[in-house]
Amino acid sequence: MSSYYLAIIGTRDNPIYELEFASFKNTTILSSPSTPNTPPPIPGKARFAPNVKELLPFIANSSLDLIEDAQFTSNQLNLGKIDTFYGISINAFITPGNIKFVLCYDGNVKEENSIRSFFNEINELYVKTLLNPFYAVNDAIISPEFDLKVKQLARKYL
Amino acid sequence: MSRKAVGDDIWKNNVEKINSELFTLTYGSVVAQLCRDFNNNYHEVNNQLDKMGYNIGLRLIEEFLAKTGVRRCQTFKETSEVISKLGFKIFLNIQPTIENWSADGKSCSLILPEPNPLTEFVELPITADDKIAKELWYSQILCGVLRGALQMVQLDCDVQFVKDVLRGDDRTELRLKLNKILKDEVPAGED
Amino acid sequence: MLYSILILNKAGGLIYQNEVNPGLNKLSTNDYLVLAGSLHGIHAIGAQLAPNIGDKTVPASVEEFNRNQNSSIMSTFKAQSPNTNRSGLQNIETSLFNLYIFQTVTGLKFMLITAPNPAEHKGELNKQYDMAHELFRQLYMLYSDFVMKDPFYSLDMPIKNPLFDTKVRELVN
Repeated sequence: MSSYYLAIIGTRDNPIYELEFASFKNTTILSSPSTPNTPPPIPGKARFAPNVKELLPFIANSSLDLIEDAQFTSNQLNLGKIDTFYGISINAFITPGNIKFVLCYDGNVKEENSIRSFFNEINELYVKTLLNPFYAVNDAIISPEFDLKVKQLARKYL
Repeated sequence: MSRKAVGDDIWKNNVEKINSELFTLTYGSVVAQLCRDFNNNYHEVNNQLDKMGYNIGLRLIEEFLAKTGVRRCQTFKETSEVISKLGFKIFLNIQPTIENWSADGKSCSLILPEPNPLTEFVELPITADDKIAKELWYSQILCGVLRGALQMVQLDCDVQFVKDVLRGDDRTELRLKLNKILKDEVPAGED
Repeated sequence: MLYSILILNKAGGLIYQNEVNPGLNKLSTNDYLVLAGSLHGIHAIGAQLAPNIGDKTVPASVEEFNRNQNSSIMSTFKAQSPNTNRSGLQNIETSLFNLYIFQTVTGLKFMLITAPNPAEHKGELNKQYDMAHELFRQLYMLYSDFVMKDPFYSLDMPIKNPLFDTKVRELVN
């Protein structure tokens, strides 16, 4: 069961939105976990080790340079897997308005396609947020509805 | 622009159509800019929207009468029917329902259907500023338009919002109240 | 053939005058204002002078007529005539010209001065009225578009709008 960390980063490298979650598939609870001290997995709650958890925003931000390089080599919005960091893979998507969606996840080789569709749907959600007259570009997205919809999409695709 | 003879279908031929997103985004930027200009004084923003709507209504009524040929209504009930079935349909392509008639037949509620073309994609930024959900009526311009248009046909009315889906209510409701008929301004030669 | 168009606001003041085809005497602006004011007055007096054809049901039939027209518009969704001039002065027909007066619900009056009825063709009297009426409808639509939608136009003021003039000329020709 892999855990994910999604960050939406604005044009001035400012974070706009972030969310940690875990895959909603394979949520069987093991009756006898291998290490007796680990708590049983809660479906949807990310299970990054604490030291890794602290580093996630740094990992996401450090991949920004790679994204900016990659954006000129490929003419696709979805850049796919751009980096790894000690077992954490990083996928990225860049919008035409230079907003970056960064997804860090542990775990094995994921289907590229599901992440691709996930990013596309997040892009649609982001465009709808932009259409709100009270929202300016680079504002933080604090709407609880947006949050809810991202979680629903995560449940659907990852 | 082709102009056809009497008896022609109003909606199909005589009404110009524009992209609804353009309209929604334009109105949204007007409201957002007003909020910034008045420093989030939402009562003042409501007033300005109402004034803008009033000026629009004074002029829009001529286009409405020219395109439909509606005659002077005999009762306020008829007026409200004409507003909902023809007026809103021609200009916004929505058809509100009329409910809640008062006992004297002088006030009623107009329920705007979802989706309201003015508020597509709009979410009030409640988390940033919770006053907004208690004070701003986003579609206030509609109240002004109705008030201005009815004034030109010698009906003095008050129009106010009662509920708004953007604020979290279950539906968008306007209250339309007839104050008086301006009998001395009715043009001569009508009867 | 149309000689001239006059538009009056609801107070009876002249707001637009256009001589589209020559054939009438030229008047000064002041004279046109006086002419318009007189016609406004006569139109209103006409409503009082019109003989009541006997019974009390005459006013009721007007309400009936309006109600029927409105319900037919709402049910069939087809436009009808916006002319509400029923008992006021409607047309004047002389050997030198015809004058048609149309009024809207908002009190705006359109007056069309046309060439007189052709002497030979009896059946053309109605046709002339129909043409004038059709012109009125189209003029009203032009007014609602080019005058009302001009943001710099104040209501009830004289219309000084070159675009409106152009469109009127196009309509007549």
